[in-house]
Amino acid sequence: MNRETPLDRLIRETERVNPAILLAEEFMRRGAADLLSAEEIDRAAEVLNDARAEIETIRRQIAAFVRSPPSASSRTPIGF
Amino acid sequence: MQFISPSSSRPGFGERLSRSLEYLTFKARSHNAVTAFELVERVISEQRKYLMYREMFPREWKRSRASLYRRGYYERYSERVNELFNLVNDNCFPLLEFAYDDPENEFEQFAIPPMNVDLCCEEIYFENLKVSYAAALVFYVPDEAWDFLNHRFKLSRSDFPEIVADPHPNVWDGKNGSLLGELLRLVDHSTGNPWLDSNYCQTADWYNWDRETIAGLTAEYEAANEVFEKLNVLDEMIEADPGKMLRALIDFWNTGKYPGLVLPSTSTSENHL
Repeated sequence: MNRETPLDRLIRETERVNPAILLAEEFMRRGAADLLSAEEIDRAAEVLNDARAEIETIRRQIAAFVRSPPSASSRTPIGF
Repeated sequence: MQFISPSSSRPGFGERLSRSLEYLTFKARSHNAVTAFELVERVISEQRKYLMYREMFPREWKRSRASLYRRGYYERYSERVNELFNLVNDNCFPLLEFAYDDPENEFEQFAIPPMNVDLCCEEIYFENLKVSYAAALVFYVPDEAWDFLNHRFKLSRSDFPEIVADPHPNVWDGKNGSLLGELLRLVDHSTGNPWLDSNYCQTADWYNWDRETIAGLTAEYEAANEVFEKLNVLDEMIEADPGKMLRALIDFWNTGKYPGLVLPSTSTSENHL
Protein backbone atom coordinates (compact mmCIF):
# COMPACT_ATOMS: atom_id res chain seq x y z
CA MET A 1 0.00 0.00 0.00
CA ASN A 2 1.32 3.40 -0.96
CA ARG A 3 1.63 5.35 2.28
CA GLU A 4 2.92 8.46 0.55
CA THR A 5 0.98 11.52 1.68
CA PRO A 6 0.28 14.59 -0.49
CA LEU A 7 2.84 16.46 1.60
CA ASP A 8 5.49 13.80 0.83
CA ARG A 9 4.77 14.19 -2.84
CA LEU A 10 5.06 17.98 -2.60
CA ILE A 11 8.39 17.72 -0.79
CA ARG A 12 9.65 15.31 -3.46
CA GLU A 13 8.86 17.82 -6.27
CA THR A 14 11.79 19.54 -7.90
CA GLU A 15 12.24 22.96 -6.41
CA ARG A 16 13.46 25.96 -8.35
CA VAL A 17 12.91 29.66 -8.62
CA ASN A 18 10.25 30.52 -11.17
CA PRO A 19 12.11 31.64 -14.32
CA ALA A 20 9.90 34.76 -14.56
CA ILE A 21 11.47 36.02 -11.30
CA LEU A 22 14.99 35.60 -12.70
CA LEU A 23 14.06 37.17 -16.01
CA ALA A 24 12.25 40.06 -14.32
CA GLU A 25 15.37 40.76 -12.26
CA GLU A 26 17.45 40.73 -15.45
CA PHE A 27 15.05 43.08 -17.22
CA MET A 28 14.95 45.46 -14.27
CA ARG A 29 18.73 45.74 -14.22
CA ARG A 30 18.78 46.37 -17.92
CA GLY A 31 17.55 49.77 -19.10
CA ALA A 32 14.44 49.83 -21.26
CA ALA A 33 16.43 51.93 -23.72
CA ASP A 34 18.77 48.95 -24.33
CA LEU A 35 16.30 47.44 -26.70
CA LEU A 36 15.98 43.70 -26.99
CA SER A 37 16.46 42.17 -30.41
CA ALA A 38 13.65 40.20 -32.01
CA GLU A 39 15.47 36.96 -31.11
CA GLU A 40 15.86 38.01 -27.48
CA ILE A 41 12.16 38.89 -27.32
CA ASP A 42 11.25 35.47 -28.73
CA ARG A 43 13.51 33.75 -26.19
CA ALA A 44 11.95 35.80 -23.39
CA ALA A 45 8.50 34.79 -24.62
CA GLU A 46 9.56 31.12 -24.36
CA VAL A 47 10.75 31.67 -20.79
CA LEU A 48 7.42 33.33 -20.09
CA ASN A 49 5.56 30.24 -21.34
CA ASP A 50 7.72 28.10 -19.06
CA ALA A 51 6.98 30.44 -16.14
CA ARG A 52 3.25 30.37 -16.88
CA ALA A 53 3.28 26.54 -16.93
CA GLU A 54 5.02 26.47 -13.56
CA ILE A 55 2.54 28.91 -12.01
CA GLU A 56 -0.33 26.79 -13.31
CA THR A 57 1.28 23.60 -11.97
CA ILE A 58 1.65 25.13 -8.51
CA ARG A 59 -1.95 26.38 -8.59
CA ARG A 60 -3.12 22.85 -9.47
CA GLN A 61 -0.97 21.37 -6.71
CA ILE A 62 -2.40 23.79 -4.15
CA ALA A 63 -5.95 22.97 -5.28
CA ALA A 64 -5.23 19.23 -5.08
CA PHE A 65 -3.61 19.63 -1.66
CA VAL A 66 -6.65 21.51 -0.35
CA ARG A 67 -8.93 18.76 -1.68
CA SER A 68 -6.85 15.89 -0.25
CA PRO A 69 -8.40 13.97 2.69
CA PRO A 70 -6.97 14.70 6.12
CA SER A 71 -4.78 11.98 7.63
CA ALA A 72 -3.83 11.48 11.25
CA SER A 73 -0.36 12.61 12.21
CA SER A 74 1.96 10.22 14.03
CA ARG A 75 2.70 12.95 16.55
CA THR A 76 0.54 15.61 18.12
CA PRO A 77 1.67 19.17 17.45
CA ILE A 78 2.60 21.18 20.53
CA GLY A 79 -0.35 23.10 21.91
CA PHE A 80 -3.02 20.47 21.18
CA MET B 1 39.05 59.43 -19.10
CA GLN B 2 35.87 58.77 -20.97
CA PHE B 3 34.55 61.64 -23.01
CA ILE B 4 30.78 62.04 -23.00
CA SER B 5 29.49 64.00 -25.93
CA PRO B 6 27.05 66.84 -25.09
CA SER B 7 24.65 65.23 -27.56
CA SER B 8 24.90 61.93 -25.70
CA SER B 9 21.61 60.11 -25.45
CA ARG B 10 22.13 59.65 -21.68
CA PRO B 11 18.66 59.90 -20.14
CA GLY B 12 17.84 62.97 -18.08
CA PHE B 13 17.26 63.07 -14.33
CA GLY B 14 13.50 62.58 -14.62
CA GLU B 15 13.90 59.47 -16.74
CA ARG B 16 16.54 58.02 -14.40
CA LEU B 17 14.29 58.75 -11.43
CA SER B 18 11.37 56.98 -13.15
CA ARG B 19 13.61 53.99 -13.81
CA SER B 20 14.74 53.91 -10.17
CA LEU B 21 11.16 54.05 -8.95
CA GLU B 22 10.19 51.19 -11.25
CA TYR B 23 13.15 49.15 -10.00
CA LEU B 24 12.33 49.78 -6.33
CA THR B 25 8.67 48.93 -6.88
CA PHE B 26 9.79 45.69 -8.50
CA LYS B 27 12.26 44.84 -5.73
CA ALA B 28 9.54 45.23 -3.11
CA ARG B 29 7.62 42.38 -4.77
CA SER B 30 10.34 40.52 -6.64
CA HIS B 31 9.79 37.11 -5.06
CA ASN B 32 6.21 36.85 -6.19
CA ALA B 33 6.19 34.69 -9.33
CA VAL B 34 2.85 36.02 -10.55
CA THR B 35 3.98 39.65 -10.21
CA ALA B 36 7.28 38.84 -11.93
CA PHE B 37 5.37 37.07 -14.70
CA GLU B 38 3.15 40.13 -15.25
CA LEU B 39 6.19 42.38 -15.30
CA VAL B 40 8.04 40.24 -17.86
CA GLU B 41 4.88 40.10 -19.96
CA ARG B 42 4.66 43.90 -19.90
CA VAL B 43 8.35 44.34 -20.70
CA ILE B 44 8.11 41.96 -23.67
CA SER B 45 4.94 43.68 -24.91
CA GLU B 46 6.59 47.10 -24.69
CA GLN B 47 9.87 45.94 -26.22
CA ARG B 48 7.96 44.50 -29.18
CA LYS B 49 6.29 47.87 -29.64
CA TYR B 50 9.61 49.73 -29.36
CA LEU B 51 10.96 47.50 -32.13
CA MET B 52 7.94 48.31 -34.26
CA TYR B 53 8.28 52.01 -33.47
CA ARG B 54 11.93 52.03 -34.58
CA GLU B 55 11.17 50.11 -37.77
CA MET B 56 8.02 52.00 -38.76
CA PHE B 57 8.94 55.53 -37.66
CA PRO B 58 12.76 55.70 -37.39
CA ARG B 59 12.98 59.52 -37.54
CA GLU B 60 10.35 59.99 -34.83
CA TRP B 61 12.07 57.35 -32.69
CA LYS B 62 15.36 59.18 -32.95
CA ARG B 63 13.79 62.51 -32.01
CA SER B 64 11.56 61.16 -29.26
CA ARG B 65 12.10 62.18 -25.64
CA ALA B 66 9.01 60.36 -24.34
CA SER B 67 9.74 58.28 -21.26
CA LEU B 68 10.30 54.54 -21.49
CA TYR B 69 9.21 54.16 -17.85
CA ARG B 70 6.50 56.68 -16.96
CA ARG B 71 3.00 55.56 -17.81
CA GLY B 72 1.28 57.46 -20.60
CA TYR B 73 -2.38 58.35 -21.18
CA TYR B 74 -3.07 54.68 -21.89
CA GLU B 75 -1.70 53.80 -18.51
CA ARG B 76 -0.83 50.18 -19.21
CA TYR B 77 1.87 51.47 -21.55
CA SER B 78 4.85 53.80 -21.29
CA GLU B 79 4.76 57.31 -22.74
CA ARG B 80 6.91 56.04 -25.63
CA VAL B 81 4.45 53.29 -26.52
CA ASN B 82 1.62 55.83 -26.27
CA GLU B 83 3.54 57.88 -28.80
CA LEU B 84 3.57 54.89 -31.16
CA PHE B 85 -0.21 54.50 -30.81
CA ASN B 86 -0.67 58.14 -31.77
CA LEU B 87 1.69 57.79 -34.74
CA VAL B 88 -0.23 54.77 -36.02
CA ASN B 89 -3.47 56.68 -35.48
CA ASP B 90 -2.19 59.73 -37.38
CA ASN B 91 -0.33 57.96 -40.19
CA CYS B 92 -1.88 54.54 -40.70
CA PHE B 93 -5.52 54.24 -39.65
CA PRO B 94 -7.92 55.40 -36.90
CA LEU B 95 -6.59 53.13 -34.15
CA LEU B 96 -7.79 55.22 -31.22
CA GLU B 97 -11.37 55.89 -32.26
CA PHE B 98 -12.77 53.28 -29.88
CA ALA B 99 -10.36 54.15 -27.06
CA TYR B 100 -10.15 57.93 -26.83
CA ASP B 101 -11.92 58.12 -23.49
CA ASP B 102 -10.60 54.93 -21.93
CA PRO B 103 -7.10 55.27 -20.40
CA GLU B 104 -7.31 51.64 -19.23
CA ASN B 105 -7.67 50.34 -22.77
CA GLU B 106 -5.37 47.52 -23.90
CA PHE B 107 -4.02 47.27 -27.42
CA GLU B 108 -2.67 43.71 -27.43
CA GLN B 109 -5.85 43.02 -29.35
CA PHE B 110 -7.91 45.81 -30.82
CA ALA B 111 -11.02 46.41 -32.91
CA ILE B 112 -11.41 48.82 -35.81
CA PRO B 113 -14.30 51.23 -36.41
CA PRO B 114 -16.51 50.40 -39.42
CA MET B 115 -16.35 52.90 -42.30
CA ASN B 116 -19.47 51.71 -44.08
CA VAL B 117 -23.10 52.61 -43.37
CA ASP B 118 -24.79 50.25 -40.97
CA LEU B 119 -27.94 49.27 -42.88
CA CYS B 120 -29.39 47.06 -40.20
CA CYS B 121 -29.66 49.28 -37.12
CA GLU B 122 -28.43 52.75 -37.99
CA GLU B 123 -30.80 55.47 -39.14
CA ILE B 124 -29.81 56.28 -42.72
CA TYR B 125 -29.34 59.95 -43.55
CA PHE B 126 -29.49 59.90 -47.35
CA GLU B 127 -28.45 63.54 -47.67
CA ASN B 128 -25.11 62.69 -46.05
CA LEU B 129 -24.37 59.78 -48.39
CA LYS B 130 -22.61 59.81 -51.72
CA VAL B 131 -25.36 59.98 -54.29
CA SER B 132 -24.25 56.71 -55.96
CA TYR B 133 -24.40 54.95 -52.58
CA ALA B 134 -27.86 56.40 -51.92
CA ALA B 135 -29.04 55.25 -55.36
CA ALA B 136 -27.76 51.70 -54.77
CA LEU B 137 -29.90 51.52 -51.65
CA VAL B 138 -32.94 50.88 -53.90
CA PHE B 139 -31.88 47.21 -53.63
CA TYR B 140 -31.67 47.18 -49.83
CA VAL B 141 -34.05 49.81 -48.37
CA PRO B 142 -36.20 50.50 -51.44
CA ASP B 143 -38.95 52.67 -49.97
CA GLU B 144 -36.62 55.20 -48.36
CA ALA B 145 -34.23 55.13 -51.33
CA TRP B 146 -36.97 55.79 -53.89
CA ASP B 147 -38.30 58.62 -51.70
CA PHE B 148 -34.84 60.15 -51.74
CA LEU B 149 -34.42 59.72 -55.52
CA ASN B 150 -37.87 61.14 -56.15
CA HIS B 151 -37.17 64.12 -53.93
CA ARG B 152 -33.70 64.74 -55.34
CA PHE B 153 -34.07 63.84 -59.05
CA LYS B 154 -37.84 63.46 -59.55
CA LEU B 155 -37.34 59.78 -60.39
CA SER B 156 -40.29 57.47 -59.89
CA ARG B 157 -40.08 53.76 -59.15
CA SER B 158 -42.78 52.99 -61.73
CA ASP B 159 -40.58 54.33 -64.55
CA PHE B 160 -37.94 51.65 -64.00
CA PRO B 161 -37.83 47.86 -64.50
CA GLU B 162 -38.86 45.61 -61.64
CA ILE B 163 -35.90 44.70 -59.43
CA VAL B 164 -35.32 40.94 -59.06
CA ALA B 165 -34.88 39.57 -55.56
CA ASP B 166 -31.43 38.04 -56.10
CA PRO B 167 -28.77 39.92 -58.01
CA HIS B 168 -26.98 38.40 -61.00
CA PRO B 169 -23.75 36.55 -59.99
CA ASN B 170 -21.68 39.11 -61.94
CA VAL B 171 -22.42 41.58 -59.16
CA TRP B 172 -20.15 39.59 -56.84
CA ASP B 173 -17.36 39.13 -59.40
CA GLY B 174 -14.68 41.60 -58.39
CA LYS B 175 -12.45 40.64 -61.34
CA ASN B 176 -14.49 42.30 -64.08
CA GLY B 177 -13.55 45.74 -62.73
CA SER B 178 -17.09 47.03 -63.01
CA LEU B 179 -17.60 50.25 -61.09
CA LEU B 180 -21.27 49.35 -60.57
CA GLY B 181 -20.17 46.03 -59.05
CA GLU B 182 -17.76 47.87 -56.77
CA LEU B 183 -20.63 50.07 -55.61
CA LEU B 184 -23.02 47.17 -55.01
CA ARG B 185 -20.44 45.11 -53.13
CA LEU B 186 -19.74 48.17 -50.97
CA VAL B 187 -23.41 48.65 -50.14
CA ASP B 188 -23.78 44.91 -49.51
CA HIS B 189 -20.75 44.91 -47.17
CA SER B 190 -19.18 42.22 -49.38
CA THR B 191 -15.93 43.83 -50.46
CA GLY B 192 -13.55 41.60 -48.52
CA ASN B 193 -12.16 44.73 -46.86
CA PRO B 194 -12.58 44.69 -43.06
CA TRP B 195 -13.07 48.48 -42.87
CA LEU B 196 -16.00 48.25 -45.30
CA ASP B 197 -17.59 44.93 -44.38
CA SER B 198 -17.87 45.34 -40.62
CA ASN B 199 -20.69 47.12 -38.84
CA TYR B 200 -21.68 47.98 -35.29
CA CYS B 201 -24.33 45.25 -35.14
CA GLN B 202 -22.01 42.29 -35.43
CA THR B 203 -19.36 41.23 -32.97
CA ALA B 204 -16.15 43.09 -33.73
CA ASP B 205 -13.17 41.24 -35.16
CA TRP B 206 -10.13 41.51 -32.93
CA TYR B 207 -6.70 42.15 -34.37
CA ASN B 208 -3.36 41.29 -32.82
CA TRP B 209 -0.86 44.04 -32.35
CA ASP B 210 1.96 43.02 -34.66
CA ARG B 211 3.76 44.50 -37.63
CA GLU B 212 2.01 42.39 -40.27
CA THR B 213 -1.46 43.19 -38.95
CA ILE B 214 -0.73 46.92 -38.69
CA ALA B 215 0.68 46.95 -42.24
CA GLY B 216 -2.26 44.91 -43.54
CA LEU B 217 -4.87 47.14 -41.90
CA THR B 218 -3.05 50.24 -43.17
CA ALA B 219 -3.19 48.95 -46.74
CA GLU B 220 -6.85 47.96 -46.37
CA TYR B 221 -7.69 51.37 -44.92
CA GLU B 222 -6.12 53.07 -47.94
CA ALA B 223 -8.00 50.71 -50.26
CA ALA B 224 -11.26 51.47 -48.45
CA ASN B 225 -10.75 55.20 -48.92
CA GLU B 226 -9.97 54.60 -52.59
CA VAL B 227 -13.28 52.78 -53.00
CA PHE B 228 -15.13 55.85 -51.76
CA GLU B 229 -13.02 58.09 -54.00
CA LYS B 230 -13.82 55.96 -57.04
CA LEU B 231 -17.49 56.57 -56.42
CA ASN B 232 -16.95 60.24 -57.27
CA VAL B 233 -16.93 59.22 -60.95
CA LEU B 234 -20.30 57.54 -60.56
CA ASP B 235 -21.64 60.48 -58.55
CA GLU B 236 -20.79 62.85 -61.39
CA MET B 237 -22.45 60.59 -63.93
CA ILE B 238 -25.58 60.25 -61.82
CA GLU B 239 -25.78 64.00 -61.33
CA ALA B 240 -25.45 64.43 -65.12
CA ASP B 241 -28.10 61.84 -66.07
CA PRO B 242 -29.71 60.20 -63.05
CA GLY B 243 -32.37 58.24 -65.00
CA LYS B 244 -29.86 56.64 -67.36
CA MET B 245 -27.47 55.72 -64.58
CA LEU B 246 -30.16 54.25 -62.35
CA ARG B 247 -31.47 52.19 -65.26
CA ALA B 248 -27.91 50.92 -65.88
CA LEU B 249 -27.56 50.05 -62.21
CA ILE B 250 -30.86 48.13 -62.12
CA ASP B 251 -29.95 46.38 -65.39
CA PHE B 252 -26.61 45.31 -63.90
CA TRP B 253 -28.33 43.97 -60.78
CA ASN B 254 -30.95 42.07 -62.81
CA THR B 255 -28.87 40.78 -65.75
CA GLY B 256 -25.21 41.24 -64.83
CA LYS B 257 -24.60 43.41 -67.90
CA TYR B 258 -22.45 46.40 -67.18
CA PRO B 259 -22.25 49.30 -69.60
CA GLY B 260 -18.45 49.51 -69.78
CA LEU B 261 -18.10 51.30 -66.46
CA VAL B 262 -14.87 49.88 -65.14
CA LEU B 263 -12.60 50.97 -62.36
CA PRO B 264 -10.02 53.66 -63.03
CA SER B 265 -6.80 51.81 -63.80
CA THR B 266 -4.04 52.05 -61.20
CA SER B 267 -1.31 51.93 -63.86
CA THR B 268 -2.73 54.74 -65.99
CA SER B 269 -4.77 57.77 -65.13
CA GLU B 270 -7.24 57.05 -67.92
CA ASN B 271 -10.81 56.29 -66.90
CA HIS B 272 -12.40 53.47 -68.86
CA LEU B 273 -15.94 54.74 -69.14
